[in-house]
Amino acid sequence: MTEPADARDEGSEGAVFADATVVGGSGDVMIEVFGVDKFFGDFQALKGIDLSVGRQEVIVVIGPSGSGKSTLIRCINRLEKHDHGSIVVDGVELSDDIRAIQAIRRETGMVFQSFNLFPHLTVLDNITLAPRQVRKMPRQEAEALAMELLARVRIPEQARKHPGQLSGGQQQRVAIARALAMQPKVMLFDEPTSALDPEMINEVLDVMKELAREGMTMIVVTHEMGFAREVADRVVFMAEGQIVEVGTPEHFFTRPAEERTKLFLSQIL
Amino acid sequence: MSTAPMSPATWVRHNLFRNRRDAITTVIAAVVVGWVVFQTLRFVFGTARWEVVRANLTLFLVGRYPADEQWRIVAVLIAAAAVAGLVTGVLTKRRRRAAIADDAPLPPLPFARRLGLIGARYWPALVLLLVLLLLARTSTPWVVAGAVIVAAVVGRLVGGALPPKVGIVLYALPVVLPFVALPFLTGPLGWDDWGGMMLTILLATVSMIACFPLGLLLALGRRSTLPALRGLSIGVIEFFRGVPLVALVLMSDVGLGFFFPRDALPGRVVRVTIAFTIFTAAYVAEIVRGGLQSVPRGQTEAAQALGLPPVRMMALVVLPQALRNVIPALVGQFISLFKDTTLVFIIGFLDVLSVADNVIQQPDFRGQGLFAESLVFAAALFWVGAYTLSRESQRIERRLGVGSR
Ligand SMILES: Nc1ncnc2c1ncn2[C@@H]1O[C@H](COP(=O)(O)OP(=O)(O)O)[C@@H](O)[C@H]1O
Ligand SMILES: [Mg+2]
Repeated sequence: MTEPADARDEGSEGAVFADATVVGGSGDVMIEVFGVDKFFGDFQALKGIDLSVGRQEVIVVIGPSGSGKSTLIRCINRLEKHDHGSIVVDGVELSDDIRAIQAIRRETGMVFQSFNLFPHLTVLDNITLAPRQVRKMPRQEAEALAMELLARVRIPEQARKHPGQLSGGQQQRVAIARALAMQPKVMLFDEPTSALDPEMINEVLDVMKELAREGMTMIVVTHEMGFAREVADRVVFMAEGQIVEVGTPEHFFTRPAEERTKLFLSQIL
Repeated sequence: MSTAPMSPATWVRHNLFRNRRDAITTVIAAVVVGWVVFQTLRFVFGTARWEVVRANLTLFLVGRYPADEQWRIVAVLIAAAAVAGLVTGVLTKRRRRAAIADDAPLPPLPFARRLGLIGARYWPALVLLLVLLLLARTSTPWVVAGAVIVAAVVGRLVGGALPPKVGIVLYALPVVLPFVALPFLTGPLGWDDWGGMMLTILLATVSMIACFPLGLLLALGRRSTLPALRGLSIGVIEFFRGVPLVALVLMSDVGLGFFFPRDALPGRVVRVTIAFTIFTAAYVAEIVRGGLQSVPRGQTEAAQALGLPPVRMMALVVLPQALRNVIPALVGQFISLFKDTTLVFIIGFLDVLSVADNVIQQPDFRGQGLFAESLVFAAALFWVGAYTLSRESQRIERRLGVGSR
């Protein structure tokens, strides 16, 4: 295993971790994905994925549409069930055991491209729902926590509104606050800014950058390369259900190794 | 539309006579509407002979229920009004408290304004009540109406004054009370002698209240991953949707006797109520299933990702959205049920419509062609009920629609 400090240092110099099982971040492993296959009928969406994510590490996943990025992070919190291989999150292995699934979901926050806020609840109730129902937090405490999180995502004044009354950027920030209210150890982001108007992208990215700096373990599917450059420890490039190339953001900007990577980057940059 | 206030003449020109086609439509519509209104008014206040209704008012309201036992029906009415008031009071208080928690307190309205709102909301029922009271030849209906209103108001006030914990316990009341108190109130006669408008209301109300939870369970059962439960639900839904209601009504009355010993069966009214309940529940199940399908997948995924267990996810995230989406269809089904209760005439019950049909055969009125009077009166009773249901559903929809996307 690589020493954590080395990983960071090498990273800033733009080294390649051709092997995605090398851990970055602060060292010990938070998420361990090993040999994961996923089929939709006959179609294989994930082909032998290996990926280790260190505690406090930020991973950005890029790749063409349909390459399996969403499927990969949805397997991590069991929104999709993987067919082979193993997924271990913070020491708990995902299996059919409902308790293991619930334990992992409690520790894993997810932010979706289309926000998926609960339209019938106020912003405050969206955020307090899970802490109150799952963590059995008393109402007052949950609301205090929610207000704190809303201040953190810079929209405390919207607490009493319904999601439909907010802009896209505000909704996505509420969605982040809602996920954080469960005090997760890992945050998964599936193209969190793809559905946003350009002028709202940065308000969401800023919140995510702050979260990264505070030491949250994150896997972010996004094509915002500016974000990747600023906070990602490693970038993972996927194509056709496989991890093609792994490296620091610097590596991807300066000297990507694979032809497919070069082609893809030339299209999005 | 312009925001400046228009003079009436301008408004008419803008909205009714903007161009030639508009003008022609307006004139034709005015002639038709005018003619219908004129004929209706002439009938109601001129040519109609309402004695047939007046003389049979008791029959229209309670059928052939024995006169010296009619206090039992009054007692049931008063109890129902009190429970309805109580539930409304508890719910209103809860809503107020929620609104205060949301920093949007609902200010208490002045008494006169509240009366005005109640009037605007229930005017058809109030007009009907007034007509009934004016048609009555004795003072008893006035006393009964007064007692029912007082019971509702007292229930409402008590419900509003209860501390929250007690209030929640009281939710069970409308479910438990009918089984405990009502048999006592109905006495040895039971339900089977009920008739007229009261029978219609009884059948419709009880089936409506009972079919909803049953339909909900069937809908959830149909989506269950347990094959046995899913199969059972599908079987029940498809069977009862596929059978004519008339057949079920007949079956409940005579058919069951072939399968079960007569003495083991509940009374006829209870049996036919169960038939209406299950029949409507099958339709409610399909409506609710449609509602469940209308909730986007992202909603369940978000709830799962937050770690909500399945039952809570259903109760707190999926169902509230699903039901809100199907309120119009549900209420449509309830209105159908309300009108379909008239089918009990085929098993010999004397509901409103049968009364309307019977009274014109009475010796005093036979051969005088009074069916218009009698049927218009019965139709008015139904219309008031159906219209009130429809209005209430729009209110609920609006209230639940606040801030929806
Ligand atoms: N529920 C599903 N059923 C069938 N095929 C699916 C399903 N979800 C994803 N796929 C397929 O799996 C592949 C990977 O999808 P996805 O992970 O969403 O890609 P990405 O997020 O990289 O665009 C795509 O070809 C997609 O069509
Ligand atoms: Mg995707």
